[in-house]
Amino acid sequence: MGVERRARSPLDDGVSTGSSYPDDTTSDDPGPQPDTSSELGSLFEAQALPYMDQLYGAALRMTRNPADAQDLVQETFAKAYAGFSRFQQGSNLVGWLYRILTNTFINAYRKNQRAPYQSGLDELEDWQLGGAESFTSSTTRSAEAEAIDHLPDSAVKDALQAIPEDFRVAVYFADVEGFSYQEIADIMKTPIGTVMSRLHRGRRMLKELLTDYAHERGLSAVQTSRSVK
Amino acid sequence: MTDCGCEKAKAELEEYLHNELRGDDATDIREHLQHCEDCSSEHLIGVTLTEVMQRACKESAPEDLKNLVLAKIRTVQSAH
Repeated sequence: MGVERRARSPLDDGVSTGSSYPDDTTSDDPGPQPDTSSELGSLFEAQALPYMDQLYGAALRMTRNPADAQDLVQETFAKAYAGFSRFQQGSNLVGWLYRILTNTFINAYRKNQRAPYQSGLDELEDWQLGGAESFTSSTTRSAEAEAIDHLPDSAVKDALQAIPEDFRVAVYFADVEGFSYQEIADIMKTPIGTVMSRLHRGRRMLKELLTDYAHERGLSAVQTSRSVK
Repeated sequence: MTDCGCEKAKAELEEYLHNELRGDDATDIREHLQHCEDCSSEHLIGVTLTEVMQRACKESAPEDLKNLVLAKIRTVQSAH
């Protein structure tokens, strides 16, 4: 597409190369590392545990139910703790934790819920083909933004649950976590073009679902309540 | 001022809103959005989508889970 993207790779810390956890955290120059296991434990508690809410949020969106999300988070922290002595202090801890989470999810949970849409979809580039932006006048369209903005959280979560897993995870990482495309590519171990395609398609599906939902609730109701304010 | 046009803007809107465009490309889109109502409403919907997701996806891990993870770590620790 002739667009130069920002070249940044914050996960470029030795984590990005290997294939499995936690062994791919090894590095030739691990930098200063804690010596004793109790030191390591306190460091882990101080550095990694604060991310539990965030990881749980992602796990909920991945597994789509609280019980599996809790198991996933537990397993992630167990693996992270086991590999923490090889984690390079000062490198991207959040990215590292998310990679473990994503890997664990793919290996442990996805097997049980093999979905038909996993592969094949990525090769299509239908985000270029128009669609969502072609329906109405711009006045109505800004009313749509307003209507989406007023949707209840449950509707937004339902819509996220409804889109294919790879799209959902990419969208979650970009929009909720604010990861860059390169970071998402590193976490999901996919080329950046695949990340972009999943994001475009996932967000397009979400827009359509939420716009439909907003229409069902009635755009006019929103417009009225707005003019009253 | 030259406008990059709707075609370029629409193709790059998603990257623009995720801050993935470099300086010149981002400037092109920003300038186009100031003058094109159609693209700026599209952009508004995109931004709103991100905002509602951030709002809807705020979660706190259950206390039980926190305690469980902590207990596990401390057990492993004391075993060493």
